[in-house]
Amino acid sequence: MTERDDLDMLAAEFVLGTLDAGERASVASRRQRDQELDQLIRHWENLLSPMNDEVVPVAPGPELLPRIERQLDELQARPDSRPKADRKPEAGSTVVTLRNRLRRWQMGTAVAGVAALVLMSVLVWQPAPESRSHVAVFQQNDEQPAFLLSVDLNTRELTLKPVTAKPLEDRSYQLWIKAERLGPKPRSVAVLGDDLTVAADVLQGYDAQLLEQATFGISVEPEGGSPTGQPTGPAIHGYLYPTSERPAGQRL
Amino acid sequence: MLGVARGDRAAFTELYHATAPKLLGTILRILQHRGWAEDVLQEVYVSIWQKAEQFDPAKASPITWLVTIARNRAIDRIRSQPAGSRATDNELAQLASSEPDGPASLEAGQTADQLNHCLEQLEKDRRDMVRLAYLNGWSRRELSAHFEQPVNTIKTWLYRALKQLKGCLTS
Repeated sequence: MTERDDLDMLAAEFVLGTLDAGERASVASRRQRDQELDQLIRHWENLLSPMNDEVVPVAPGPELLPRIERQLDELQARPDSRPKADRKPEAGSTVVTLRNRLRRWQMGTAVAGVAALVLMSVLVWQPAPESRSHVAVFQQNDEQPAFLLSVDLNTRELTLKPVTAKPLEDRSYQLWIKAERLGPKPRSVAVLGDDLTVAADVLQGYDAQLLEQATFGISVEPEGGSPTGQPTGPAIHGYLYPTSERPAGQRL
Repeated sequence: MLGVARGDRAAFTELYHATAPKLLGTILRILQHRGWAEDVLQEVYVSIWQKAEQFDPAKASPITWLVTIARNRAIDRIRSQPAGSRATDNELAQLASSEPDGPASLEAGQTADQLNHCLEQLEKDRRDMVRLAYLNGWSRRELSAHFEQPVNTIKTWLYRALKQLKGCLTS
C-alpha cells in the first residue's frame, strides 16, 4: 500500500468509527494540521453518510431542550473579554491563591497511595489582555512537569503538551475531569493519542464556569484507555489557573 | 443553520426541533442507553451552537454535518468507556430491520441508492461489518468477537470492504 492509501484507510476507519480511543484522538488532533487527512475524512463522511438514513429518529425528553438552553444562557452570560481596568496582574497573589485552592482528589482506591504524593504547581506568565487562557501543570513530586494543559475559556479549546512525559509501551494516558456538578466520580475526557495530545475540542460539552472549578487528572491506563470507565492506574492532577490574573472576587 | 451561526437563539430552537430526534436516534443506536445518549445529545447541541459558523454548505449538507458531530461524539464516548456487554441480539435484529428497502429520503436520494447498491456488492459478512461499525459504533474488538476472527483479520476485511466500497462509489 502506498502512503496515500494508508492515509485514506486511516481516514476511512476514523469515519467508520472502528479506531480505538487513542487512535481516534491522534487522528482528530492530526487532521487539524494535516489538510490532506482532513479532506480525506470529509470525503469518507460524505461517501458513508447515506447510511444515516437507516437511523430511526427518537424524540428526546421534553426536559432536554430547557437543559441545553440553560447551558447556552450561561455561556452567553459570560463576557468575551473584560475591560483592561478590571485587571490587576499580581503574580505574588496568584501563587498564594493557588496554594489555597490546591486540591487533591483521589482517582480510585487503587491509586490512593500514589495520589497522596501528588503535588501540582502552576506557571504564571505575562497576561495576554484579550485571552481567558487557563493553564494547569501536571507534576509528580518535585520532578519536571509531565504535562502542561491550557484551556481558553472563551472558546473552550484545550491544548495538552507533554513536557517530560513519554509515550508508554502498551499503555495509554487518559485525561479525566472532576467537578462538583459532575458528581463524585471523575469523568473521562479523552485518551491521549500516540503523540500524547488530544483534540482541541474535547471540552466543548462543558461550560466555562465548570471548567474553571474543575480538577483534571491524567492516569496511566491499559492501551486504549481504562477498561472500567474509571481511572485504574497511577494518576497526576492539575487545577486550572488563569494566566491573566483577575481579582478572585470578580471571577464568576 | 445560518441563523445559528449568527447567534440567533430562535433559529437554534428551530434547528433543535427539526434535527434532535435524528441525532438522538444516531447516538442511541451507538450507546444503547437512553440517559447516557441524552447527555451526549446535550453536549452535541452546545457544540453545534459554538461551531455553527464553521459549517460550510459547500462541503456537506446541514444534516450530514450535524449527524457527523453526533456520531463522532457518541463514538468517542463509547471508546473511552469499558468494553461492556453489548445487547448483540437486539442490535443484530435492529440491523436487519433497518436494512434499506426503498429509495432514500433524508439524504440525497441518488447517493443513498448508490451506496446501498455498492453495499449490496459486498459479501454479507463484510456488509454487516461495515454497517455494525458505522451505525452501531462497534469497535474492531467487538467485530472480532462477533465474527470469531482475530482483530488483524477484521482490520484486513475492513480495509478490503472500504476499498471495494470506494471503488464502487467513485466509479
